[in-house]
Amino acid sequence: MPFPPRPVDATLHGVVDYTAGAFHLTVFPKLAGIEGTRSARQIRTAAAIHAGYSTLTDYPLGIVKLLPYQAHLAIDAVGAVALAALPFITGQYKKGPREWVPNVGVGLFELMSLSISDPTGRGDYHGNVDKVRSANMEDPHRKIYDGGPAVRSAARGAPA
Amino acid sequence: MRATVWSGRNSVQVENVPDPRILNDRDAIVKITSTAICGSDLHLYDGYIPTMKRGDVLGHEFMGEVVEVGKGVGNLRVGDRVVVPFPIACGDCWQCKHERYSACENSNPNAGLAEKLFGHPTCGIFGYSHLTGGYAGGQAEYARVPFADVGPIKIEDDLTDEQVLFLSDILPTGYFGADLCDIKGGECIAVFGAGPVGQFAIASAVMLGAERVIAIDAYQYRLDMALNKAGATDAINFDEDPDIVEQLKLLTGGRGPDAVIDAVGMEATHGHGALHTMERVKQATRQETERGHALRDAILACRPGGIVSVIGVYGGLMDKFPAGALMNKALQLRAGQAPVQKYLRPLYERIRDGDIDPSFVVTHRLPLDTAPDGYETFKHKQDECVKVVLKP
Repeated sequence: MPFPPRPVDATLHGVVDYTAGAFHLTVFPKLAGIEGTRSARQIRTAAAIHAGYSTLTDYPLGIVKLLPYQAHLAIDAVGAVALAALPFITGQYKKGPREWVPNVGVGLFELMSLSISDPTGRGDYHGNVDKVRSANMEDPHRKIYDGGPAVRSAARGAPA
Repeated sequence: MRATVWSGRNSVQVENVPDPRILNDRDAIVKITSTAICGSDLHLYDGYIPTMKRGDVLGHEFMGEVVEVGKGVGNLRVGDRVVVPFPIACGDCWQCKHERYSACENSNPNAGLAEKLFGHPTCGIFGYSHLTGGYAGGQAEYARVPFADVGPIKIEDDLTDEQVLFLSDILPTGYFGADLCDIKGGECIAVFGAGPVGQFAIASAVMLGAERVIAIDAYQYRLDMALNKAGATDAINFDEDPDIVEQLKLLTGGRGPDAVIDAVGMEATHGHGALHTMERVKQATRQETERGHALRDAILACRPGGIVSVIGVYGGLMDKFPAGALMNKALQLRAGQAPVQKYLRPLYERIRDGDIDPSFVVTHRLPLDTAPDGYETFKHKQDECVKVVLKP
């Protein structure tokens, strides 16, 4: 396990993408008491965009696997910072905490989630394939492709 | 001794643990010479089988040399070379008397736990959660074998470990799957999954006389093994075309296979659509335990009046089970953990007679200490991995 620990693999990251995306898109503004504010609109827009590129990501929960997982993480980071900074760029923060605290909170949640996600391009694979290859006493390719059938067919005569 | 222990989801470690000792007169201690990682071990590794505890010794496919026997074990002696079947069976209960060893009524000390989940308890199984007894497994240097007078088969010739090791589980399991299909000669059998159990289900269907055997998988190297070694006549790579049901109909003149074997189980991966995404999310968030693509497609593809044989491991509950297709097509659904003891002797004879050389599935033979990388390599199908054998 690397340090700091990054226990969130690509699958779990995908689960969080979809569930957090759906949550922020639907009930979050009402639960947070910010319905009707610019902050609510910005969070909903960010959640919709997030869910959209999640479906295009090359990870187990992606549907059309066009976007590399690492590119997805990079967009997550840029999006989180942008969402948190937006109230201060537009000046909406002057209207009170309801116009900037949710943006900053959601942005920080996103960055926290990123900080514990495994960023390697290996997907879920955490093994050392080189170590396995050097320790292996078999030749997988030869086992699959060389030699004849290993079973005698009752229907087709021997061998299969 | 050194042993592979479960240390959480997606994590195993090789650690020093106490040596096993005789606890009962019918126990034996086996010094393990070969052990394997099973596809069903991945369900434990992935965290989908409940009641695992950190430090549990894994492994239910193993063989070795008897180094100690209890007073009640009359059929084994120190020095015997044995293969140990994965179901622990007493040999005396009603189920064992009817050769249903995997439903043994006496070998699971946590029967109450299993009864809550399944309605009835199942047998004890080595290294397969506390639901099946919490027995220490065989991915270790030594193992305690309960009811040693019933389970282990003596190997009395010079066959290699890799030729007989799989008598412990995956060869009888694959054979059981084919046996459930009532093959009399000339049938068309489709096998979902070309992993190790699927390879042996294919090979067994061929041995029993099936005319046509269709292998189904997403990995071309596994399909190539099925075609080159196991005797499959056709292959469907669903990574290229995910509509397996339609492809099976095309290959069978629209009728469908006479029988379909599900050698996949609860972590089916096929399909890239919305249903698969939803199932991944539901399973990851523990709203259901099974991803049921393989069983659903098996039921939908099988010809009316045919047999669906389920040997892939399922652990709990599945959504969207096609009960309508099952009933209206008059299908027979047959399933089970293989009663390995029933098949040990006949399959051993088949190996000796040259009907099958089970060692063809072994793509990786590794030292025990590399088990964590072996699990990852097997799980993620890296390096053309089909079967990992560990050498303690």
